[in-house]
Amino acid sequence: MERRDFIKIAGGTFLAGSACAYAFRFLTASNIDGLIVENLTTGRKYGMVIDLTKCIPGCTACVEACHNENNVIHSGDKRWDIHWLRKVTIENKLSPEVGKKEVLLLCNHCDKPPCAQVCPVQATYKRHDGIVIVDHHRCIGCRYCVIACPYNARMFNFKSEEEWHNKDHPKRSHGVAEACTLCAHRLDKDQPPACVEACRNVGTGAIVVGDLNDPRSEISKLVESRAVKRLKEDLGTDPKVHYIGL
Amino acid sequence: MDIKFESIEGNSIPYMVMMSAFALMAVVGLITTFFIIEKGLWVTGMTNRVPWGLQIVMAVYYIGLSAGSLVISGLYGVFGKQEYKPFARIAVYLAMLFLIAGLLSILTDQGRMDRVFVEPFVYFNLRSMFSINPILYIGHILICVIYLWALFTEKRKLTTIVATTAFGWAFCVHSGTGAIFGFGARVLYESPLLPASFVAAAMASGTALMILMIVGLFKVTNRHVDDGLIIWLGRFLAVCLLVVVYFLMVENLYRAYVVELRSAAMYYLFGGIHSILFWFGLLLVGCFIPMFLLFRRKTGKQIRWIVLASALVVFGVLCERYVIVIPGLTHAPEIIAGMEIVQSPIDEGVANYSISILEILQALGVLGVIGFLFGFGLKYLKLLPDEARIYERAVPAVANIRKDESGVAVGK
Repeated sequence: MERRDFIKIAGGTFLAGSACAYAFRFLTASNIDGLIVENLTTGRKYGMVIDLTKCIPGCTACVEACHNENNVIHSGDKRWDIHWLRKVTIENKLSPEVGKKEVLLLCNHCDKPPCAQVCPVQATYKRHDGIVIVDHHRCIGCRYCVIACPYNARMFNFKSEEEWHNKDHPKRSHGVAEACTLCAHRLDKDQPPACVEACRNVGTGAIVVGDLNDPRSEISKLVESRAVKRLKEDLGTDPKVHYIGL
Repeated sequence: MDIKFESIEGNSIPYMVMMSAFALMAVVGLITTFFIIEKGLWVTGMTNRVPWGLQIVMAVYYIGLSAGSLVISGLYGVFGKQEYKPFARIAVYLAMLFLIAGLLSILTDQGRMDRVFVEPFVYFNLRSMFSINPILYIGHILICVIYLWALFTEKRKLTTIVATTAFGWAFCVHSGTGAIFGFGARVLYESPLLPASFVAAAMASGTALMILMIVGLFKVTNRHVDDGLIIWLGRFLAVCLLVVVYFLMVENLYRAYVVELRSAAMYYLFGGIHSILFWFGLLLVGCFIPMFLLFRRKTGKQIRWIVLASALVVFGVLCERYVIVIPGLTHAPEIIAGMEIVQSPIDEGVANYSISILEILQALGVLGVIGFLFGFGLKYLKLLPDEARIYERAVPAVANIRKDESGVAVGK
């Protein structure tokens, strides 16, 4: 084969392949994005406020509700168990005598999410309403997002679980990453996330989820009027989970 | 000078045993991979805190060896050092195989391997280093194929063009691999120096491996190689090691100096098994002892010492890859500033990781695949030269010129 022919065939194959790939992408992913824009974009930016001064020590109603709602199963092994929402006890490094405090940790639904930036297949993406979500049907399981998340909030399905509590919500196969979705499926139906509902019913309403873009919303008023903190603000990821009393 | 390249007969018993061993390793690796796919990645010992393990260490290592091998081939292709022409083909072939090994290691590490062939190309994310790198890797393999073709067909001009492209591309490949870690994922990864230090370590390991391959292959196949060629490669290796040590020094001094990174630096330098690998595996065995052997006038000119130094470097750079990938993950991130998490349903502190037997079998499987392809190449491609000699440059003979009375040269 002549060099010229080789270059022609190689170049033609490359161009044809690229065209097919982009055509496929246009026909599939673009339409899904289009639906999101049409149906869900209402200028909302969902965020969360957790009032630690109201949070009852030892209460895990929100955690249980979250895991039941989203089929997050635990085998009791810390190494591989997944926690979309976890309650941890923290202690001041400099003055432990100040006392311990319980804090809820979860995906911060960052406005500039590093997990979405590093995902090689755009399986992790930020919805137009600010919720960071994983497409489990696209994730290749590279775990780069787990590593890039500065909050240890992103986890990987190392194991498959047989149990399936909530049949209205899908469970994940092993080999894909996952994290809190802010119960997007409920928010889309104008229902509060499972943790918020549980905290209202069982606890003290310490968790508030709402539209940060709406100045009349409860969450905006709390962020405006109370001293709120966000985790690792210096990283510039703009986390949308706010803490009162941290 | 006219170099004749030839393939080996490949009918000897040692060759058959070697190929059978590689095939067996590949089959075992394949079975292990199917087992892992079926059961889930937890059987490898990786966890949510340490989600990358031996396969990623090996991938980075292989990619480094590939980039380094290609640089050696560039001695002839780019810099026109004719005496290194005998090694050009084998260096390019190895560069291609090591990159395939790197890709296989990454492939077998994915949670959903079935999606790797479609999704990354359809949903390409230009902002992800993980998306950019496959382009670099595939480009690298394609360039290697064209490079080999140019070498086989003895097209000098094309060889120079492709070799120069490949030389630059190899730098990009390894800088890109370093950027996966260096561009801000974890405290111990984050460093703009990492892509550059990756390149230095790649050149060191690639050169060391080429020395081992050349000396080993030429000895086994009863071919002559001039000592001077190996001695020069040894010197080049020593200089690469100096650069590696320099980068390591700057990076660790920076971390130890900056207050907010100091605890991470202390963990890296004195925090566990990885620290032993850093001080003894990488620095002492992988850098200082080889540098001593290579720079010392007496040992630096003896092939057996150069071979020993190269073997130590190959081991040392493997340690380097480990201490880049693993401690960055086992180190506990500070999620809430100034606070320590004392109780949690997941592992929040320093995490544990140890290489599992399944990971080793998988890594051996990848090694088996490229070992088999290497043996196959030796038999069916004309990769090996009949000999490798340093040819003296032809010096014009000094004529005894005599001039006649009018000043015209008349010769002897």
